[in-house]
Amino acid sequence: MRDPLSKTRKARDARDGYGFISLWLFGFFALTLIPLLFSFFLSFTDYDLLTPPVWSGLNNFKTMFTKDPRYWKSVFATFYYAIAAVPLRLVVALGVAMILNTNRRGVSLYRALYYAPSIVGSSVAVAVMWRQYFGTEGIFNALLRAVGIPSNISWTGDPRFAIWTLILLAAWQFGSPMLVFLSGLKQIPNELYESASIDGASGIRKFFRITLPLLSPVILFNLIMQMIHGLIVFTPALIITGGQPLDTTNFYALYLYRRGFETFEMGYASGMAWVLLVVIALFTFIIFKTSSQWVFYEAEKGR
Amino acid sequence: MGHATTPFKKKIHTMLFHLSVGAFAFLMIYPILWLAASSFKPGGEIWSRVLSLIPQHPTFENYMNGWKGFGGITFGTFFKNFFIIAALETLFVVTSSTIVAYGFARIDFPGKNLWFSCMLATLMLPVQIKIIPQYIFFGYLKWINTFLPLIVPKLFGEAFYIFMMMQFIRGIPKELDEAAEIDGCGRLYTFTHILLPLLKPPMFTAAIFSFYWSWGDFLAPLIYLNNPKLYTLSVALRSFADPGGMTDWGAIFAMSFLSLVPVLVLFVSFQRYLTQGIASTGLKG
Amino acid sequence: MVKKIGLLLISIFVLSSVAMAAGKSETAKPRKAEIKIIWWGSQTRHEGTIKVIELYKKTHPNVDITYEFSSWADYWTKVTTMAAGGQLPDVMQQDYARIAEWVKRGLHVQLDEYVTKKIIDTTNIEPSLIDTGRIDGKLWAINLGSNSHSMILDADMFKKAGIPLPPKDWTWEDFEKIALQLREKLGIYGYGVHMWNDQIWKAIYISRGEWIYAPDNKSIGYKDDTPFIQYLEMMKRLVKAGAMTPRQEEISQYAGGTQPEQTPIIFGKAAMQHQWSNQLSAVDKASGGKRNFVLYPLPRVKGGKSANYIKASQYFSVSSQSKFPEEAARFIGFFTNDIDANKILMAERGVPISSKVREALLPLLPPVQKEVFSFVEYISKTGSPCPPPDAPRHGELINNLYQPEVVDKVLFDIIDPVTAAKILRERGNAILSKN
Repeated sequence: MRDPLSKTRKARDARDGYGFISLWLFGFFALTLIPLLFSFFLSFTDYDLLTPPVWSGLNNFKTMFTKDPRYWKSVFATFYYAIAAVPLRLVVALGVAMILNTNRRGVSLYRALYYAPSIVGSSVAVAVMWRQYFGTEGIFNALLRAVGIPSNISWTGDPRFAIWTLILLAAWQFGSPMLVFLSGLKQIPNELYESASIDGASGIRKFFRITLPLLSPVILFNLIMQMIHGLIVFTPALIITGGQPLDTTNFYALYLYRRGFETFEMGYASGMAWVLLVVIALFTFIIFKTSSQWVFYEAEKGR
Repeated sequence: MGHATTPFKKKIHTMLFHLSVGAFAFLMIYPILWLAASSFKPGGEIWSRVLSLIPQHPTFENYMNGWKGFGGITFGTFFKNFFIIAALETLFVVTSSTIVAYGFARIDFPGKNLWFSCMLATLMLPVQIKIIPQYIFFGYLKWINTFLPLIVPKLFGEAFYIFMMMQFIRGIPKELDEAAEIDGCGRLYTFTHILLPLLKPPMFTAAIFSFYWSWGDFLAPLIYLNNPKLYTLSVALRSFADPGGMTDWGAIFAMSFLSLVPVLVLFVSFQRYLTQGIASTGLKG
Repeated sequence: MVKKIGLLLISIFVLSSVAMAAGKSETAKPRKAEIKIIWWGSQTRHEGTIKVIELYKKTHPNVDITYEFSSWADYWTKVTTMAAGGQLPDVMQQDYARIAEWVKRGLHVQLDEYVTKKIIDTTNIEPSLIDTGRIDGKLWAINLGSNSHSMILDADMFKKAGIPLPPKDWTWEDFEKIALQLREKLGIYGYGVHMWNDQIWKAIYISRGEWIYAPDNKSIGYKDDTPFIQYLEMMKRLVKAGAMTPRQEEISQYAGGTQPEQTPIIFGKAAMQHQWSNQLSAVDKASGGKRNFVLYPLPRVKGGKSANYIKASQYFSVSSQSKFPEEAARFIGFFTNDIDANKILMAERGVPISSKVREALLPLLPPVQKEVFSFVEYISKTGSPCPPPDAPRHGELINNLYQPEVVDKVLFDIIDPVTAAKILRERGNAILSKN
C-alpha cells in the first residue's frame, strides 16, 4: 500500500516540514547568519574595533595555541568547571524535581523558593550575596566554626577553592533544569507507576525502569544545554571573582570577552570563540551519537 | 494495630518532609533574605552591620531613593519597559518555537539534520562575540534605539526552546497523531488540536524561562537601547554602581529586591499549569 | 580568494556603517543642532548631569540634547560597540587610562581651536589643569574634576593606638613602621586593600623623578628595578606580619578592593588605605559618616620627590564622528565654567578646574568635601608635575601582564619579587614594542 504513495508522501513531508520550520529558517538567514559569518571572518584578522580589520591569516590561532599561557589556563578552568558543575547541577535538579513532584500541601511554595536563587543569578547583587556565603567572614566559615572546625579560609579568594564556590553557585541555581525535569515527570503516566506497584516493584526499581527511560529525552535536552551553558559560562566569574585568583576562574568566555573589549583584540577573541564552537559541536555530536543507546522516545518505540 | 499507625506514620512523613525541605529552602534563599534585610537598612548600616538579617533602624529610604531613578525617569518607566519587552518576547518565542519544534520532531524531511545542527550551533558561540556584528547589522536596519532588536528575533523561534519543545513532543505517543491523520486531519489540525493541548506544561515552563531571561538579560538592552527612557530593569539596576565614585548600595538592594517580585509572582501563578501533565489529562490509554 | 572576498565583505560592512552615520548629516541637514552626551557614574551623577543638561537646553534653545548613561563596568562595552558601528555620541566622558588609546585611533576631535575661539573659555583655569588633557602637546579633552592619589588615614585609630600622624612628606619606611605598629597595638590590619595596583608602581617611580614608560612609549622607562622589587618585598612582609589584608581575603571579602564601600577601612579593620581623593565621600558615607578620616599624600621613596600629582578624575572629549563638534565643545565649556551648573553638580566628579567655580562652591560644601578640596589644593602646590598619559597598550600591559602574571603571582607566592620584576620588564617591553 505504501509504495505508490511513498513519493507523494515524501513530497508532502518535505512541504510540511519546511512549512513548519520556515519561521526559524527565515530568521536564521535574515538575522543570524550575517553576523555569524562576520565573526567567523574576523577570526582571521587583527581587529581593534575602532579601525577596520586587517587580514592576519592563521596568526590568531597560532598565538592562541603556542604563545598564550593564559589561554590554556582558561581552557583548563572551563573544563574543570563544566565537568564538575554540569553533573552536579543535573543530579541536584533531578533529585529536587522528584521530591517536589508530589501533591503535598505547600509544595508550590517550595518550588518557588527553590527556583528563586536561579532568578537572582545574573543580578548585580548576587556577587555581594555570594560573599555573604563564602567571604572570609561569611556564613560558611561561621558554620564550620559552629561545628568545631576553626576556619578562616577565604573561599572565593583562595586559588584552591575559588572555582568550587562557582561550581556550588551553579548547583545552587538548579532552577531551570529542575523545571524542565518537573514538566518531564508530569508527562509520565501515573498508570505505569500504579501497575508497577501492583507487581510489587520497589521505588528504586521504578526509578530505573520507568522514570529514567521515560525522562530520557528531557535528560538529553538538559545534558546538552547544561554542557553548552557550562562551557560558555561567563556571568558568575565576571561578577563574583572577576577571573581571579591567579586566573583560576578566568573562564574561556570571560577571557575572550576581556581580550575583545578590554584590550581591543576582537580578532583574537573571535578566533577563540570559533575554536570553542568547534569543541562544543564535537561534544554535542558525541552525545547525540551515544543517545540512541540510552534515550527512549515514546513516539518511536517499536521501530 | 496497623489500622492505627498508618495515619500516624503519614503524619511523621509529612513532618519530616516539611522539616527537611523547609530547612534546605531556607539555606537556598538565605542570600535573598539578606538582600531583603539590607534593602531596609539605612546607608551607614548596610556595610557596618553587614551580617545581621534584622535592620537596626529599618527604613524605606532606600526604596524612595531607588524608585526615583535618574533625572525624573523613575523605576515605573523601567518596569513598564521590562513588561512590554518581556511579554512580547515570551509570547513570540514560545509560539514560534513550538511551531518549529513540531516540524523538527514529527516530520521527516530532507535536510532536517543539517538545519537542526545549524540551529544548535547558534547556541555555541558566546553572546559577547556576537555583539559587535549584530550591532552593526541592526544599525543597518535602523533598529538601534528601539525594542525591535530585542523582540523581532523572537518571532523566529530560539534554539533552546525549539529543542526543548522537540524533546517533549517526542515524549508524546505518535499513535495520537496517526489516529488523527487516519481521520483525515491535516498536519496543521493535528498540531493545533491534538498536540498543543498536551504541550501546555512545557509551554508554560518555556514561558517562565523566557520571562525570567528577559529579566536577567542586560547585554542586549544595554547595547541597543540608547535612550534612558527605554532602559529596562536590568540596565537601570546596573546604572547605580560606580566604583570610582559613590554607589548607593541601599538603592541597588531595594530595587533589586523589588524587581524580583514580578518574576516570582509570575512563577507562582503559572505553577498550577505546570502541574497539569499528561498524567492528569488521562489521555494516555 | 576566500580571504579576499572575506576581507572585502568585512570592509564593506564596517566602512559603510561608519559612512552611513557620517552621511546622514549631508542628506538631511537638521536646522537645530543635535548633540548626544554619554557618561558613566552612579545615581547622584546621573541626576546632576541630567539637571545640567536641562539647564543648558533652557539657555540654548538652538540645540537639542539627548543623553545616556551607564555604570562604569558597562560603559566601555557600550561605547566600544558604538564606535565600531560609527554611532559614537558627540560628547563622551573619557578616562585617564584609556584616552591615549582612543586618540591614537582617531576617535576624538582636537580642542585647541575651540579654546582659542573661546568656545571653551579657559580664562579662569590654571594652564596646568588644562594640560591634563593634552597628549603630545595637543588638547584632546577637558578635565572635569581634579583628583590625586591619597592615603586615607583613620585619625581616631591612630589616636587609639597612640601613634602620632606622620609628617606629610613621609616615606615608605615610615609607612611600613606605622602599619606594623597599628597591627601590634590594635590587632587590625594597619593597611587595607589594593596596595598591589599599578598606581603605586607609577607613584614609586614618579617619586624618583622617573616614569614607567619611555618617552616614545615603546619600552619600560626606568633602568633600575630595585625600587619595584623593594615594593613587592614590602607587601610580602606586611602580609606576613598581618599588617596588610592578604590578597585572598581581599578578593573574597572585599570585592577585590574595587568598591570603596566594601573595604577594611570601612569596617575598622584597617587604618590606612590608598584611594583617589574624590573617593573619600564614598568611604565616609559607607562608614556611617561619623569617623574622622584625613587625606594624606602617598609616601615617597627615601629622599625622593612628592609621588602625588594632579590628575583628571575624568574628561569630556568630543567624538570625531560628531556632526556638531562646535556645539559639543560649547556644552563642555558651559559644563566647566557655569556657576549654576556646578552648584547642581557639587564637585561630584572631583575638584572643578575653574577657580571661579571653586570659590563659589567652597562655602556650600560639606566637611568631607572641604577636606578633599584642601587636599587637592595642597597637592597642586607641593605635588610633582603630572606624568604623561598612560601609553597606548597600557590596558593590555596591566590586564594581561602586570596584574595576573606579576603582582598576583608574587602575592600568592608563586614567584619571588626579583623574578617578577624581570618578567615585567621582558614581557612588558614585548607588549610596548608594538606601539
